[in-house]
Amino acid sequence: MNSAVRFRSLLAGAGLVALVAWPLVMSSPYDLRLFTLAGVFAILAIGYQFIFGYVGELSLAQGAFFGFSAYVTGILAAKGGQGFLVTLPASIIASVVLASLIAVPVLRLASHYFALATLGVGQVLLLLAIDWQSLTGGAIGLSGVTLPNVLGFQIGRGWPMLLLVWSFVGIAALVAFQTKRGLYGLACHVVRQNAVAAKALAIDPNALRFAMFLLSAALAGVAGALYAHTIRIVSPEGLDFKVMISCLTIAVIGGRTHIWGAIAGALIVIHLPEWLRSFEQSYLIITSVVLILILIVAPEGLAGLVDRALPPKTRIPTTAASVGALAESSGSGVLMPSETPILTIDGLTKTFGGVHALNAVSFSLMRGSITAVIGPNGSGKTTLVNCITGLYRADAGQITLGRSTITTLEPYRISSLGIGRTFQNLRLVEDMTVLDNVAVARFQTEKASFRETLFVGARDPMLERARHHALRALRQLGLEQMAGTKCGSLAHGTKRLVEIARALCLDPTVLLLDEPAAGLNETEQADLAVHLESLAARGLTMLIIEHNMEFLRSLATQMICLDYGQLIAAGRPREIYKNERVIEAYVGRRQAAEMPA
Amino acid sequence: MIQLLLNALSLTAAYSLLAMGFVLVLNATGAVNLAHGSFVIVGGLIAAALGSWLNLPGAALLPVVMAGMVLIGGGLALIAYYPLRDRPAVSVFISTISMGAILETASRLLFGPSPRVAPPIISSGSFQVGGVTVGIQAVSMIVLAVLLVGAQYVILSRTTLGKRLRAVAEDREIATTLGINVNTMILVTFGIAAALAGSAGLMFANTFYITPGDGEAYMIKTYVAATMGGWGSLRGAVAGALIVSIFEVLVPSLPVVIPVMAGAQSLFSPTASTIWLYLAFLIVLFFRPQGLFGEAVQQRA
Amino acid sequence: MKAIGAAAFAISAIYSWSACAQEVNLTVPIIVPITGLLALEGTSQLNGANLAVAHAPAGLKIKSQVIDSGTAAEGGANALERVATAKDVDFVVAPLFGTQVLAMLPTALDYKMPILAPTGTGPVTEQGNPYMFRLYPNDAISKVAHIRYVVDDLKLKKAAILYNTTGYGQSGFKFMSEYITKLGGEVVFSEGIDLSTKEISATLAKVQAAKPDVILVQMHSASIAMVVKQIAASGIKTPVVGNTTIAMPATASLLQPSDLKGVCAESASWVEKGKSPASDKFLEDYIAKFGAPPDAYAIQQYDGLMMALTAVKSGARSAEDVRKYMSSNSYEGVAMTYKSDGKGNLAHSVVIVCYDGTSLTPKLVKRYDDIAAF
Repeated sequence: MNSAVRFRSLLAGAGLVALVAWPLVMSSPYDLRLFTLAGVFAILAIGYQFIFGYVGELSLAQGAFFGFSAYVTGILAAKGGQGFLVTLPASIIASVVLASLIAVPVLRLASHYFALATLGVGQVLLLLAIDWQSLTGGAIGLSGVTLPNVLGFQIGRGWPMLLLVWSFVGIAALVAFQTKRGLYGLACHVVRQNAVAAKALAIDPNALRFAMFLLSAALAGVAGALYAHTIRIVSPEGLDFKVMISCLTIAVIGGRTHIWGAIAGALIVIHLPEWLRSFEQSYLIITSVVLILILIVAPEGLAGLVDRALPPKTRIPTTAASVGALAESSGSGVLMPSETPILTIDGLTKTFGGVHALNAVSFSLMRGSITAVIGPNGSGKTTLVNCITGLYRADAGQITLGRSTITTLEPYRISSLGIGRTFQNLRLVEDMTVLDNVAVARFQTEKASFRETLFVGARDPMLERARHHALRALRQLGLEQMAGTKCGSLAHGTKRLVEIARALCLDPTVLLLDEPAAGLNETEQADLAVHLESLAARGLTMLIIEHNMEFLRSLATQMICLDYGQLIAAGRPREIYKNERVIEAYVGRRQAAEMPA
Repeated sequence: MIQLLLNALSLTAAYSLLAMGFVLVLNATGAVNLAHGSFVIVGGLIAAALGSWLNLPGAALLPVVMAGMVLIGGGLALIAYYPLRDRPAVSVFISTISMGAILETASRLLFGPSPRVAPPIISSGSFQVGGVTVGIQAVSMIVLAVLLVGAQYVILSRTTLGKRLRAVAEDREIATTLGINVNTMILVTFGIAAALAGSAGLMFANTFYITPGDGEAYMIKTYVAATMGGWGSLRGAVAGALIVSIFEVLVPSLPVVIPVMAGAQSLFSPTASTIWLYLAFLIVLFFRPQGLFGEAVQQRA
Repeated sequence: MKAIGAAAFAISAIYSWSACAQEVNLTVPIIVPITGLLALEGTSQLNGANLAVAHAPAGLKIKSQVIDSGTAAEGGANALERVATAKDVDFVVAPLFGTQVLAMLPTALDYKMPILAPTGTGPVTEQGNPYMFRLYPNDAISKVAHIRYVVDDLKLKKAAILYNTTGYGQSGFKFMSEYITKLGGEVVFSEGIDLSTKEISATLAKVQAAKPDVILVQMHSASIAMVVKQIAASGIKTPVVGNTTIAMPATASLLQPSDLKGVCAESASWVEKGKSPASDKFLEDYIAKFGAPPDAYAIQQYDGLMMALTAVKSGARSAEDVRKYMSSNSYEGVAMTYKSDGKGNLAHSVVIVCYDGTSLTPKLVKRYDDIAAF
């Protein structure tokens, strides 16, 4: 492991040296020009990674933002005689404004519709650029864009321009680095990998997607302005879909989230047609074949290949401060279940295409109680939890938490109000460590925002605190040994426990568990029961969906039974087990299943 | 006016073939084949080459063109789809874009960059119907498209092959458990889509000429038609094709049909009409993303 | 006896040595679009240039270096940057693509490298750049001939103008509408059509409704062929006067002779058999080498490159020498006489050709020389 890490650092160092040496070695004006253009596209690609890589949205607007910004710069410079200090901010602002205008309607669309909508916007801009001749110069474009003039210092062709562009690459890289290494970056990753889980952790996926979309547009604005100043004309070719394809290609070759991948990808994509020049027309065929091969062999791009061969170091926090158990409430000692209802469900109904998944279900959860929900398969147990957490919108009825009605709230709002949950089909992020999976639950509490993230120092304090908290939650369930392990490599039972720890890390007042004991052996079940009891004793209200009656026997203080969406029994477990309707529901189903078809 | 309607209909006919082929692949694989536009070029160029060599009408060349396209479609599936079928959708997106570039460049190398013309389906003459000149090619396009769509319908609903294809489009896992060779069915689907697109290419190559660079425009139109008509719906593909044709033929001609609009010429230029099409497209996406006939789209997570 | 033999040997040795010393090695970079939307015209350009290299005057050893400028605006400028520093490059063949040439101008100025391009699009000679040599008549000039023929010869004044929404099309439209108004005519209808647009029946319906007495066209190959074909098919009898692309053999081959009846074209250059031995040789060699008659781009590129090679032959040994020669001398090409007007426009002659409906080769109808813009 160590040698891989060392080799990785060595490789990184070598790459940096190669990057700096490149323009020094290949220093003809032509090579410098290409290197400068590669820098422009590196900025574009780094920007694209925000929306495409970090939050996983296939946007096809990046090319449009680029061309649009180039035009803003071109028109201001060639027609308005403005200098770089005006054109650059103007391009960035224009690009971001455009992005926010289209983001609102477009971001809520499912993935390929989002892609299509962004494509449509790009096409409209292209047509406008060709047609609006008085503004844009029409098809031939506007010439006479000057080289940039920064504070009286005229930046010339060749080295000065190269350095200007690549210093912006450095700034873009810095922004990307800051964004992705902290708690904010973790939250983005969860949104990308499992948006439903994010919502259960008080993270609003749409807010993050919006922010990343705007950020990608801002960087496209920088790239567009620099592009116009480099080639000194603007024309509709800049808005052509081919630019978007180049950007997408860079992201695929380089890797979706790695900054160095974007830079390497840009260098390759810009230089490949030149390297293959001798093949004349066939170079297009060769580059396409190469691209397909890369897709097949290295799906996560070059960065993915390197990561697979030389895994990066995963940091496990060694800070051992405050090893004490989670002290949730002020008092100590055991609290008996009180008579205060903390969560009230009243007449909850949900239909799917005419079938009642839930039919006028009403019950209350008392503070500190552990309520079990039982019922045959398909009786609506998970639907109930999904309605409470806001993933489904109920058709009728009301859900009250404390004194607020939460029936129609967004899922991330509901979880931020203190309702945590686990999922029947686990929703952990496989390629993140256990610690980080759990830590991301602190996103909302830490008020991790983009602005905060941009200015963190060597260590993100929000992430540190979150990991701290996460470690405590893991300790509660005896999982602290696993903190540095990737979730993908865990046993099923352990994963279930990690999900519970994650929900606990949210500091919820109500915890909804969907089949927590599934896949656990008897010892693990007993341990879990003990943990849950102690949590209840400290005031945590729980609702547990389970089939495992043994597990529930000593645990549940209350029990409700659902059958075909209706609540057919509620009360103490002992009574429910003897309830005729309950028995009939289970037996009847079994009989129906056993009857000859 | 009748002339315009006829042109719009024959254009719809050809675009329907494009959109339906596209949707067939979409349903069977969930993947967007962005090389679909280049199928049109290849088919058209083959028709043009055969036509100048053999001197036969398009209808006679059609079986050869379709057979060739089936092979090309299957080949594309093997290279660009099959190795990436379990990867995220964007991989197939890019691999098919690359295949489209390969097909276009290869066409240019083989056939040269000049526009080419293919023979008409039957003849390029015209006849008079009540004072209106009706082009035989325009009518043959409609007839041929109807025949091909009909043939496709019959294959899909009546033959065993068709049932298997539909099963795969419905649910791949269940199809596998039923013993259907899903991979072969997917290849066949790509082949059919390519054949339909190639036939459209054969038609276009006569009426509109065909140049290797035409692929991108056809691809975007197919995409727009499939989306507006209903993502994943065959009926929707035809509806979408009609909408695209209306914006291409009827919208720009409004100033002629409704004289009062003649004052606002620039609003109905071909460029403006295309902008209207894209705006309508965006409006459909915002308010009814599933298009006219598509299934309701679940709001995303 | 021996002394005379030795002297003769010495003299011939000296002669051949100086002859060898006179042989000039030159690399001519040819930057043209071979891929993309202008691939057709770019290939013509390439063919003309290659033939000029093959016909290079004796004593010149020419190596041609072909670079695809593609579709991106900076495609030509990048290529120029690469070749301009080579020692044996004194001038460069640039693409016919107006936008790319505009992007190349600053680079040409920086490297003091003359560039020769058969582009008609307006602004390239309006930048005050002494290294730009336009081989094709400026749109400002060719449209003078175009409109003059329509108004003065055909006596038609109400025009409908159809053009492609490319730099070339938009530029032609601008000048044509300006000029016809200047000559007392009017534009009753105009429409710009995208290169990829195929369905133009709506446009033609609008043309008919406007009742023009002539249809003027400035389009690329496939588009203009479609316009002519659909006009013929819908029985419209209005005469069509188009731009040079309809005179290109590649375009005419898409149509039937009957479609072309009554269609005339403004063409920058025309080479007919029997004009001169040089032009006959050009025609024969071109057809033999490329299988088809040359079009305006090929002809113009051939002439322009031959002019530059003639400059080298007559002593130009540096880029600056070539520039001086091209700016001040006149050259008798196969299509016309070329002489710079001080702004880099070398071509000032335009011909009008018309199809008679029986063949795919048009006939020369009128010739305009030394045209000045309005």
